[in-house]
Amino acid sequence: MEEKDRKKHHKKHSGPKADKKRKRHLNDLGLGDDEDARKRNPKAFAVQSAVRMARTFHRTQDLKTKKHHIPVVDRTPLEPPPVAVVVVGPPKVGKSTLIKCLIRNFTRQKLIEIRGPVTIVSGKRRRLTIIECGCDINTMIDLAKVADLVLMLIDASFGFEMETFEFLNICQVHGFPKIMGVLTHLDSFKNNKQLKKTKKRLKHRFWTEVYPGAKLFYLSGMVYGEYPKQEIHNLGRFISVMKFRPLTWQTSHPYVLADRMEDLTNPEHVRVNPKCDRKVSIYGYLRGACLKNQSQIHMPGVGDFTVCDVSFLPDPCALPEQQKKRSLNEKDKLIYAPLSGVGGVVYDKDAVYIDLGRSHEEVRPNHELVQSLISTHSTIDVKMASSKVSLFMDSKPLGSEDVENQEFVMPKEEKQIDLKTGRVRRKAVFEEENDNGASDEEEGQDEEMSEDEMDGSEDGDGDDEGESDKEMPGQELDLRSAKRMKREETTEEAAGELPAFADSDDDLEMSSGEEGETDLDESKEEAEDHGDKEESNEKESSDSDSESSSRQISKFAPCELGREDKERRENHNLDHRLGKKVVPTTDSGNCTAEEASESEAEGSSLEEEEEEGLNDDSEAEESDRKGIQSAPEKNVDGVEWAESKVVEDEDGGDDIENLLKEEEEYGEENDFSADTAGALKWKEDLTQKAAEAFLRQQQSAPNLRKLVYGTVAEDADEEDDADEELGGLFHVSRPDKESKQKANALDCSKFPVETPQDWDLDEVMNSIRDCFVTGKWEADKDAAKLLKDDEELYGDFEDLETGAVHKGKPAGSEGEKEDKEGKEPKAEEEEEKNKRMDKKRKLKEMFDAEYDEGDATYFDDLKEEMQKQTQLNRAEFEDQDDESRVQYEGFRPGMYVRIEIENIPCEFVLNFDPHYPIILGGLGNSEGNVGYVQLRLKKHRWYKKILKTRDPIIFSLGWRRFQTIPMYYIEDHNGRHRLLKYSPQHMHCGATFWGPITPQGTGFLAIQSVSGTTPDFRIAATGVVLDLDKSITVVKKLKLTGFPFKIYKNTSFIKGMFNSPLEVAKFEGAAIRTVSGIRGQIKKGLRKPEGAFRATFEDKLLMSDIVFMRTWYPVSIPAFYNPVTSLLKPAGEKDTWTGMKTTGQLRHELGIRLKQKKDSLYKPIVREKKHFNKLHIPKALQKALPFKNKPKNHEKKAKPTKDQWRPAVIREPHEKKISALLTALSTVHSYKIKKAKLNHRQHLKDYLRKKHKEEEEKFKKQKEAKKKLFRILGQKEKKRQKSSLKGSREREK
Amino acid sequence: MASQQHSLSYVGCNFLRQRLVLSTLSGRPVKIRKIRAKEENPGLRDFEASFIRLIDKVTNGSRIEINQTGTTLYYQPGLLYGGVLEHDCSPSRSIGYYLESLLCLAPFMKHPLRIVLRGVTNDQVDPSVDVLKATALPLLKKFGIDGEGFELKITRRGMPPKGGGEVTFACPVRKVLQPIQSTDPGKIKRIRGTAYSVRVSPQIANRIVDSARSILNKFIPDIYIYTDHMKGTSSGKSPGFGLSLVAETTSGTFLGAELASNPQGQGTAVLPEELGLNCAKLLLEEIYRGGCVDSTNQSLVLLLMTLGQQDVSKVLLGPLSPYTIEFLRHLRSFFQIMFKIETKPSYEELQGGEKVLMTCVGIGFSNLSKTIK
Repeated sequence: MEEKDRKKHHKKHSGPKADKKRKRHLNDLGLGDDEDARKRNPKAFAVQSAVRMARTFHRTQDLKTKKHHIPVVDRTPLEPPPVAVVVVGPPKVGKSTLIKCLIRNFTRQKLIEIRGPVTIVSGKRRRLTIIECGCDINTMIDLAKVADLVLMLIDASFGFEMETFEFLNICQVHGFPKIMGVLTHLDSFKNNKQLKKTKKRLKHRFWTEVYPGAKLFYLSGMVYGEYPKQEIHNLGRFISVMKFRPLTWQTSHPYVLADRMEDLTNPEHVRVNPKCDRKVSIYGYLRGACLKNQSQIHMPGVGDFTVCDVSFLPDPCALPEQQKKRSLNEKDKLIYAPLSGVGGVVYDKDAVYIDLGRSHEEVRPNHELVQSLISTHSTIDVKMASSKVSLFMDSKPLGSEDVENQEFVMPKEEKQIDLKTGRVRRKAVFEEENDNGASDEEEGQDEEMSEDEMDGSEDGDGDDEGESDKEMPGQELDLRSAKRMKREETTEEAAGELPAFADSDDDLEMSSGEEGETDLDESKEEAEDHGDKEESNEKESSDSDSESSSRQISKFAPCELGREDKERRENHNLDHRLGKKVVPTTDSGNCTAEEASESEAEGSSLEEEEEEGLNDDSEAEESDRKGIQSAPEKNVDGVEWAESKVVEDEDGGDDIENLLKEEEEYGEENDFSADTAGALKWKEDLTQKAAEAFLRQQQSAPNLRKLVYGTVAEDADEEDDADEELGGLFHVSRPDKESKQKANALDCSKFPVETPQDWDLDEVMNSIRDCFVTGKWEADKDAAKLLKDDEELYGDFEDLETGAVHKGKPAGSEGEKEDKEGKEPKAEEEEEKNKRMDKKRKLKEMFDAEYDEGDATYFDDLKEEMQKQTQLNRAEFEDQDDESRVQYEGFRPGMYVRIEIENIPCEFVLNFDPHYPIILGGLGNSEGNVGYVQLRLKKHRWYKKILKTRDPIIFSLGWRRFQTIPMYYIEDHNGRHRLLKYSPQHMHCGATFWGPITPQGTGFLAIQSVSGTTPDFRIAATGVVLDLDKSITVVKKLKLTGFPFKIYKNTSFIKGMFNSPLEVAKFEGAAIRTVSGIRGQIKKGLRKPEGAFRATFEDKLLMSDIVFMRTWYPVSIPAFYNPVTSLLKPAGEKDTWTGMKTTGQLRHELGIRLKQKKDSLYKPIVREKKHFNKLHIPKALQKALPFKNKPKNHEKKAKPTKDQWRPAVIREPHEKKISALLTALSTVHSYKIKKAKLNHRQHLKDYLRKKHKEEEEKFKKQKEAKKKLFRILGQKEKKRQKSSLKGSREREK
Repeated sequence: MASQQHSLSYVGCNFLRQRLVLSTLSGRPVKIRKIRAKEENPGLRDFEASFIRLIDKVTNGSRIEINQTGTTLYYQPGLLYGGVLEHDCSPSRSIGYYLESLLCLAPFMKHPLRIVLRGVTNDQVDPSVDVLKATALPLLKKFGIDGEGFELKITRRGMPPKGGGEVTFACPVRKVLQPIQSTDPGKIKRIRGTAYSVRVSPQIANRIVDSARSILNKFIPDIYIYTDHMKGTSSGKSPGFGLSLVAETTSGTFLGAELASNPQGQGTAVLPEELGLNCAKLLLEEIYRGGCVDSTNQSLVLLLMTLGQQDVSKVLLGPLSPYTIEFLRHLRSFFQIMFKIETKPSYEELQGGEKVLMTCVGIGFSNLSKTIK
């Protein structure tokens, strides 16, 4: 340390700091020049060569444009979903440790075990969902599709493993998410140099795979089983500031990375059939695009489903509220991981534990009844007997015996005549209180009786007005009847439009049902009466307390539910009769809506009156308890009528009036829904509420939305009503003529004018006067006004010719000034200021237009346009609450949603393993369908085998993983798709398979098998979807062969190519060829041998020739599509999914050897010796040939003469001896001579050497002698010179 | 196997075209029951059969099942194919009936559509070819469907009852549509029109023009009504005459109105003057309704907005026609899309009736049929 301290400070010689210093220094000296060199020394930068300049310009522009991305509309929501961080790596590399460390870094919490995704808040604007990815290739594929950021863990002590590369390749195919490498196990290196080298090597390899400069993190060593704090902190910082580029697939599809799953199936169903399909709710953040209800989704590893319900929940891991501090509060550092047991729920293999914590006491149900049920030790019956429920705030608690008695109890209406106003008032009275001891049935009969009576006698018995009509004298009657008349008018066309309760109760329906039965045979007329009655009835009864109280009771006495249905149907019957009366006449949607609103307004005013009355009612309630039962019955009946009618009307579905009714109904439902929930609280300020509602309705324009869409909830029962069956046997036929008329009306898009206006009238004509350019314009567009404005701004100018100065009018004209006097001076100032600003702005605009014109490129324009669209998208629904926003947009990404799905295979629930990710991927339109998909495919260069046509293979395409049978083809030059037996080795080829329709341009990858592990690279092929179709065009070559059976000159008769004259007829004119290359054409079929034909050739055939025709045969593609259902496998076996096997695999497993055809086996090649015949030239030809080419008649050689063949000489033994001796002697002699020669040569050499020596000596001697001589001569000369010098000197002296 | 999306079920033959078109675009099968089940002559009519045949022609791989009486129709859509086609439309409805649906489908084919339709060009029921040419084509251009191969040519005129007209429709293919924001209808700057007459006196057309101008001249001077008298083979098989008018605004909105004479042998003869007057009044009605799209094309514009990218589109319409209202409901059931509907009272006094502002977010539709190279 001391040494370091003593180290001298080095000045910086380069870098920005040094530059700055240098500049300052120069400035101090007065030499500094802020101008750049270009200005200071223009000559140096003068254009030397125009061409070169053009090139540099071109190049810079190229570089600039290269940086551009195609601008896309930014659709990221304002509050984005958590960033999905996927931690990948081979086993034992430290994935879980890293996740734990990261979680601890961000939240200061320690997770023991990590299962499934963990969501944490990492900053003020960012949340992270961290999920671990195992080495199962299924998991890797699924998670690569949803990842925003990949943390790729690499064991530095080992180097890269196959999993890493596989994952990288998967990522490349499915859009490339951000990838960050993390090197672990760096502490195993003892040698520092080795460590550095390894790091560098790994880094460069990583760069080639991802992109040069990709971030690679080093985690050095472990401290107590964790990574160093500082390093994790840095990594966390990197993650939380990272930016992402949107990926096409992800932004165009909604998806959910589920972090919670619940089984919602009825336990009873499961008990009855443990293998029944399940209903499941799945929770998670919605990402990508907007999700719509009822849309199709795919769960990778499970299959396709239709979302049956979506709802959004409060964010369990919300971003902190806006705060000024830089760092997060401790309490905002949330973590949410229900599968790991953080969100209060712990999942075990076969149980779910809920940690209630301290909240346990608070949550506890405070209903006495329920509580007592919870802590029960005796049977329910006993408990029920002792428990009591209070229905109203100040009523006496009910015991079980009361409940039993009350099976038919409902609030009965009791009529009272108010003495002051003379109005009849209805009182809700409960039966048990005027307990008359009569049995229920009798009562029922009584009711019916009385009802019948009343039906006959008077239409509006239970009705205020009806009653008043009868009983009220004089003026009031007039007034009311007039009102009523009016109402009838309106209701005639919008019958039964009035509100009913959202949910009718069993008791009510039942009673009305009974009535319905009696009414079945009543006439149409009566039905009409009902219509009237029901309207008025409804109005008050909707408010009536009797209703709500009866509902309360009915919950405890759900008797005869079965009957209810039947009765309701009967009601429908009646309704239809009623429906006939309603004749819809529509001009336009708006018109009718207006009418309706009028009627509505009236209705509500009436309502108001009645409600006032009711208020009094409630006060008087306690005192009077003697009920007459018939009256309320009637009343209630009316409600039911309207109710069922509304439901029924929807069946028609298309007439506007009905929907108008719904609309009104809806409005009122809203008003009362809150009220009906609480027992009698709603009565408290009814008048005020009614007044408010009235005002609201008056103000708001008729709501077209309701007109078009109705209320969303009502749609559901539309279909239910359609096929109700009586006791499961008989179908109730309902004559719903009205809807039928509509349903079969003329299909025409024209919008005819029903009531044309009289366009001859001036007023009418004036009503559209301003639609024309000749009419008045808006203030900001009126040409005259604009001109005037401009005059004010640009009015000052000087006529140079005349020298006259024109002044624009002063801003405020005289007239204006007069006005202004009255105003405050402040306003004037303001105005002045505004004008000035305006003028400035205009001038600036002009200036900009003049000078900045050229700058805006196409790219800039496009970008700006996208920007605008983004703003519009964000602004459009901003001010609406989520509930209604969801209807228009669908569920926004970033919301925490709960998705209900039905018909999930039970294995999904039974074999649920939180370690495997559950993904819900939304499908676009018709992406749930199947068809033929054409791909451009290339075998992966690291995959060791080539792919075979018709071998099943597993594709990962879109959200899906599925097995299918592809056919490989190549496109010929003429666009023909020719089938290939195998995929090419290093080339792209086409592939077609039968499978899910996926948008063009989607990437895919193929693997041979997802089960087990192989040391080799598993990704077999990659590519992209090109085309989708419902038919295919892949063909293979087919050669038809035939043999001539009759040969004329160039014409031959061919047989064996076809089987029938029809086939021949189909191929008439087709080109054929012999193997030897003679071309021909099919002419016409022959009658006799079936399928023979006449053909002409360019030359005469031989009988041995084979004739063939080349044709193309369309290949059929097997419709095999098998989704990989890996998530349905039992835990621990999830990576062992096997689908269809290839024939090769099957053969191998079953030990069946391929039986080869005999002629496809190789045989040893035997070459026969060729015999060539002698060339024979006919005599005539020989004669004609020139001499040169004539075969020469070589004369036969004469026999050798006698002297040519002499007899051999055979020596005598003596002679042999002599010759042997002679040979031996001559050999000896020759040897001697040879030796002598050698000797001689040696001598000569010696002699020459000697002589040479002598001569050298001699030369030496001579040299020495010469030397001596010359020395003497030299001395003599010297002497002579000396003496001569002396002499001269002497002479001088 | 991929679970096929459950089919939608409807009752009655009304809105048959909408249902089939939306089914084709969304890929959801549709089942229509009880087609005129209670009538004397049950089942599909010839013009509907002809329409179904046309749908079959432009698609590939669709499955159509009709029961024996023709009262039930099941349609499982294939992919839109397009190409060069010919179709003989039934003379009981005009070509407009077929063309309206083709306008919805044509931009999403595999190959650019070029189709020759033969039949009745103008009648009293459906929007005529002239009006569609003048209003629907500019509308499609707003969505980015444009180019050389986009035209609608009337080669022959045919009047009901016998028809004999011929129309060529060609449309290029697009992968995605642009969102539109047309909330300003602008002001009408000119009125154009065509007065046509076939197999009647050529003078009739001039009479129509004069009477129509007499009304319209009170509003705007820039009026030109072409007289189109067809002779010989290009005049179809039945006599008749009519007028179609189109008002163009400064912001490129086209509002159309039309009227045709009664078909030969049906109803009383119509005076050309009267027809001209009435047609002009119809145009004024249309102007009164106003909006950025005229009442016939409301459903078309709403469909194209729905099929846009996941961006907000807005359009200002006149009062919604019953057909459009039903179309909106169908859009919801096929695409799960709901429009935000706001009524806009006319800003100033003299600008016609109430307007409706329709807003929606596109579903991010992309043309699945188009091939990429």
